Amino acid sequence: MSTATTTRFGAELRAICGAANVVDDPALLRGRQVLGVVPSTVVTPASADEAAAVLRVANENGLSVVPAGGFTAQNMGRKPAQVDVLLSTSRLRELEHYDAADLTIGVGAGWTVADLAAKVAADNLFFPGDPALPERATVGGLLATGFCGPHRQGYGGLRDYCIGIRFVTGDGHKAKGGGRVVKNVAGYDMMKLLIGSYGTLGVITSASFKLFPAPRQTRTFIAEFPGAAEAFQFRNQVLRSPLDPICLELVSPGARQLLHGFGSDGPWLVLLRAAGSDPVLARYRAELGSAVARELEGINEREAWRALSNFSHTVEERCPQSLLLSLQLPLREVGPILQQLATVSASLKHAVIGRFGAGHLLVALWQPSGSTVQAKAFADAIAGLRHRLPIDASIAVLSCPPEVRADIAWIATPTHVESMRVVKKVLDPNDTLNHGRFLF
Amino acid sequence: MDSPRGRIYQMVQVDEGRLALSDSFVTHIDRCLGCMNCMTACPSGVPYASLLERARWQIEENYPRPWLGRKLRQHFYAKVLPSFSRLGRHAKLVRFYQRSGLQSLARGTGMLQLLGVAELDALAPRIESDFSFRHLGEVFPAEGTRRGRVALLIGCVGSVAFAELNRATVRVLTKNGIDVHIPKAQSCCGALHLHGGHLEMARVLARQNIDAMLSPEFDAIVTNAAGCGSVMKEYAALLEDDAKYAHRAMQFVAKARDINEYLAGVGLVEPKRKLSQRVTYADPCHLAHAQGIRKAPRELLKAIGAELVEMPRPDTCCGSAGVYNVVQNELSMKILDEKMGYVASVSPQILATANVGCMLQFKAGMKRKGINTRVAHVVELLDEAY
Amino acid sequence: MNPAVVEQLRKIAGRDAVLDRPEDLMLYEYDAGIRKSTPGAVVFPQTTNQVSQIMRLASSAQVPVVARGAGTGLSGGAISREGGIVVAFSRMNRILEIDVENQRAVVQPGVVNLQLSEHVSHLGLYFAPDPSSQKACTIGGNVAENSGGPHTLMYGVTVNHVTGVEVVMPSGEVVHFGGKAAESYGYDMTGFFVGSEGTIGITTAITVKLLRKPEKVATLLAIFETVDDAGQTVSAITAAGITPAALEMLDGWTLRTIEAYCHAGYPLDAGAVLLIELDGLRESVEEHAEAVQAVCLQQKAREVRRAKTEEERALLWKGRKTAFGALGRVSPSYYTQDGVVPRSKIPATLAHIGEVSKKYDLIIGNIFHAGDGNLHPLILFDIRFPDQLERALAASKDILEYCIAVGGSITGEHGVGMEKRDLMPVLFTQEDLDVMAGLRNAFNSENLLNPDKLLPTPRMCREIFGAARNPVLVQEGM
Repeated sequence: MSTATTTRFGAELRAICGAANVVDDPALLRGRQVLGVVPSTVVTPASADEAAAVLRVANENGLSVVPAGGFTAQNMGRKPAQVDVLLSTSRLRELEHYDAADLTIGVGAGWTVADLAAKVAADNLFFPGDPALPERATVGGLLATGFCGPHRQGYGGLRDYCIGIRFVTGDGHKAKGGGRVVKNVAGYDMMKLLIGSYGTLGVITSASFKLFPAPRQTRTFIAEFPGAAEAFQFRNQVLRSPLDPICLELVSPGARQLLHGFGSDGPWLVLLRAAGSDPVLARYRAELGSAVARELEGINEREAWRALSNFSHTVEERCPQSLLLSLQLPLREVGPILQQLATVSASLKHAVIGRFGAGHLLVALWQPSGSTVQAKAFADAIAGLRHRLPIDASIAVLSCPPEVRADIAWIATPTHVESMRVVKKVLDPNDTLNHGRFLF
Repeated sequence: MDSPRGRIYQMVQVDEGRLALSDSFVTHIDRCLGCMNCMTACPSGVPYASLLERARWQIEENYPRPWLGRKLRQHFYAKVLPSFSRLGRHAKLVRFYQRSGLQSLARGTGMLQLLGVAELDALAPRIESDFSFRHLGEVFPAEGTRRGRVALLIGCVGSVAFAELNRATVRVLTKNGIDVHIPKAQSCCGALHLHGGHLEMARVLARQNIDAMLSPEFDAIVTNAAGCGSVMKEYAALLEDDAKYAHRAMQFVAKARDINEYLAGVGLVEPKRKLSQRVTYADPCHLAHAQGIRKAPRELLKAIGAELVEMPRPDTCCGSAGVYNVVQNELSMKILDEKMGYVASVSPQILATANVGCMLQFKAGMKRKGINTRVAHVVELLDEAY
Repeated sequence: MNPAVVEQLRKIAGRDAVLDRPEDLMLYEYDAGIRKSTPGAVVFPQTTNQVSQIMRLASSAQVPVVARGAGTGLSGGAISREGGIVVAFSRMNRILEIDVENQRAVVQPGVVNLQLSEHVSHLGLYFAPDPSSQKACTIGGNVAENSGGPHTLMYGVTVNHVTGVEVVMPSGEVVHFGGKAAESYGYDMTGFFVGSEGTIGITTAITVKLLRKPEKVATLLAIFETVDDAGQTVSAITAAGITPAALEMLDGWTLRTIEAYCHAGYPLDAGAVLLIELDGLRESVEEHAEAVQAVCLQQKAREVRRAKTEEERALLWKGRKTAFGALGRVSPSYYTQDGVVPRSKIPATLAHIGEVSKKYDLIIGNIFHAGDGNLHPLILFDIRFPDQLERALAASKDILEYCIAVGGSITGEHGVGMEKRDLMPVLFTQEDLDVMAGLRNAFNSENLLNPDKLLPTPRMCREIFGAARNPVLVQEGM
């Protein structure tokens, strides 16, 4: 659709959101490219009602819509043919509910994760979502990508602590699932469908979360291992022990090279973060024994975890020609796959981090400097991984070099694809949202 | 497809006239093990056992069973069981029946089921050649310091089929300083009548036993059969409308003890030999659920040095359940196989239990599984320790 | 039921695996709630393939299908409202796999909840969701209703413990969602399926998490003079930065009733107690136990006791878990609700329930998952008196509306079923419900799977509040 055609709807969109919140001046839009595609219009609704009205216009007129939050994860998926409307959630900033005594909060999708975390931290509460670039990443984007960081180990995933969601379907219906209370089984669990749906089922407008008491003190124990096998063995030992760390993170030698503050090279690391009083930390020390090389606390500790949360961003920044994969694995598969990385990607360098006690790994693969990008090497690496993993492991590509973008399978999943298509058909019948970027 | 909840629901529907006393109802009631596990679990205190007895009584009164089976049942319940001399004669016949090969023929062809007399066959385990009826009326004095005096119920089926167990019971008691009396006028406890729906006959037997065994000279009235013990403890309820016997029935109940309960209560004297084997204990339903006795047998086993290992779900029914293993053979074997899986999971050297019916069933289970782990009554093991 | 359909069912599942005589069917007309409706046939499949064939048959014969586990549900989820076929899972009760390394079990839907924990206990593992009916209820039923229990506070409801399901769709097609990994990419169909109350498909194999048993467990009983003090304490505990594994409240009336049965040593003169469990690492449990004790005493607890032995602990829990049943001793019928309120609203909600009790002249006991604000007011009545039933239903509706008004929900763990679907329009807008109905209709286009559950029909919407005045609904379909 040409800019001129879109402009025809500009008046309608302006009537919905106000002139100041509809931008279709090409000069201003260049900065909001999605995988190199300049959107025709950027619309910033201030409420779920406005977002629904925008989507109705788009749906009725066959406009393609890309929902966007902080633009921290738009490098995912295939390049869209066109972007008629970039629907920004940045004005969805309502505080729906918050009572520290309830340990719940409900916020608009445009809240940044950092703002949300800071808001509840003031009451000694903790929001465990930990995406890369939390100052930019929004709550809506966090949910849509289903991203999980190091705290996945101790607090579960978004599916475990998102208790309510409001969204607008592709055809412009406002809908919700769950509510404001921590326990609620009324109606279908819409949160589950929307989390990790990459903006293909609806535009998330607000969400409610369960919060946790903030740990009074934490300590990070760092263990070093000559190889992945030993690190995996250590993980199993921790999982079988009574210890209950809030983070249990694996860092490969390749990842140490990329991350700030992890030395430029060296053995495999496992970082175990524990929360509790002095006697509790003493118990960790006793249980972990000589495996621990050093401890981190205070600012050093916070910086280390921040760097780990930012891993995906760091990879994109420092190694823009890399393929970044996210793997969800049955626990047993983590060890073998770590050992096989070298063989599946013989011509590639690799870096791995992940909350490997929960079966989640981030794997970056890139070509040694100087060589040109060879799409086949990446495709072979993915195929090799797929081949070595059982059917119920799943893989998502988080970013990749432009040369391979068109040919990549963005998601491999054990879940019945036709059933997912049924859901897509109901919630976004005309393929208005993120058309063709991911599975459908 | 069966549950106590469903049976109670059906009883209510029968009561309200929504449901006839039909095949379906009878089948579900017949299928009940009577293990009373449900009563242990029930927070509302539903008296399932008495509801079940009442339902069975109604069925016996009103539901036509096959003719030959009915006649034989009546004869057996009314004539054979209450009379020890008849039981003796019957036992001889049964022994002949077992040895002649007729038994395997009848069982093999399903003829018994067809005739509706399968229950009778089940009531006749391998008959031991020596009976203990001849000890009726005898007194076995305590060895060493006398610590108590009890009346022993030798049981009808138990006394013909498990004479050796009765002898072991007497030995264990006397070695522990207990005088053992075997009152002559005692009779069958009435359990089979009560569970089979013959309430009146059960009352007759209860009165007979109260007369025979309730005496100030006995500290306790002891049995080694869990089923007998639980019925003896029901005498008060059974006779609550009997002006003459209600009070004495209560006194009787106050003295009724299972052998495990009694021995654990008085405490064992130091055993001569230690049983240094790996033992797992299966709770008989009529001990654990009907009488709430779980700790006593375990304590006794530990006291003689057994290495006690707990199997999963030790207190689920083995499927023996009186005559259940024959009348509901298929279901019973399913239940047994599951139970044997639990037993096997802890690989014991000895499977101990405290009820003869369960012992028989477990022996059959071992055979089915092709293993020869020893099955023993707690009292047998105690006997070996002295 | 059409005899030809029954005959087909026998061909599929076996002659002894189908019931169609009225005296047998009546055993499947109820669950643990108060409504009834008799099915046309009951079938007991033994394999996934048989379930698939049953679904195909039902679709071609246009007969409704309702899956049933142990029938312990409280919302009518397993009752065949429109006649039709009840698919009972008592013969699909095998534990298919215990995968210790992956901390998963794969089970058939008929496996009893507690049996799974017992089965893996020797490995130091357990299955966390613990509905009070866990001795009887099945994991298939837990999945359908997304059941919870006391330990939901720390460990979450069923959906937080299911990572994969095998599902038979209405077409008879067998599909898989998820697997053994904690999460899977693509839409989270597993999460969507759990709690869909049998309206999307029927599960035939379930992959669940097995958790490591905690090293240490401390169980405290805090005794209060008033319900209000106990209610205030709930928030005070979480405000102290402690998340107990379980935090249950029982009011004085309920306590006295339970104590008569279980002799757990519950105080007979208390206004309310909190049953608080902490678990985890020995050091943190000890610390938290002391902190919780201090908070309770600060909040005017008369006394805080701690279970000294495993037996004492088991007894305290036995009292809690069998509480509903124990009420059978004092009342011929009870009606329980499952409303949820924000934790900080617990004291006000309890006060409101007290007023409702007076207003409708009914005894209402309170025993509930206080830690997550999930109330179970137990309304006592005698079903033989229609006016009592009517008052009980009205009182219940009153309480649920209050829950919604303070930002809560109508069900925390029992499911909507046929019982609460008429309140769904109070909780959700018509547009919300249309979107949900769109999903249901896409998977279950002829509405043959558990029809008229979970979502209100347009007809029902008009009658939203008429239901309570209609005593006929207690004997629906008869």
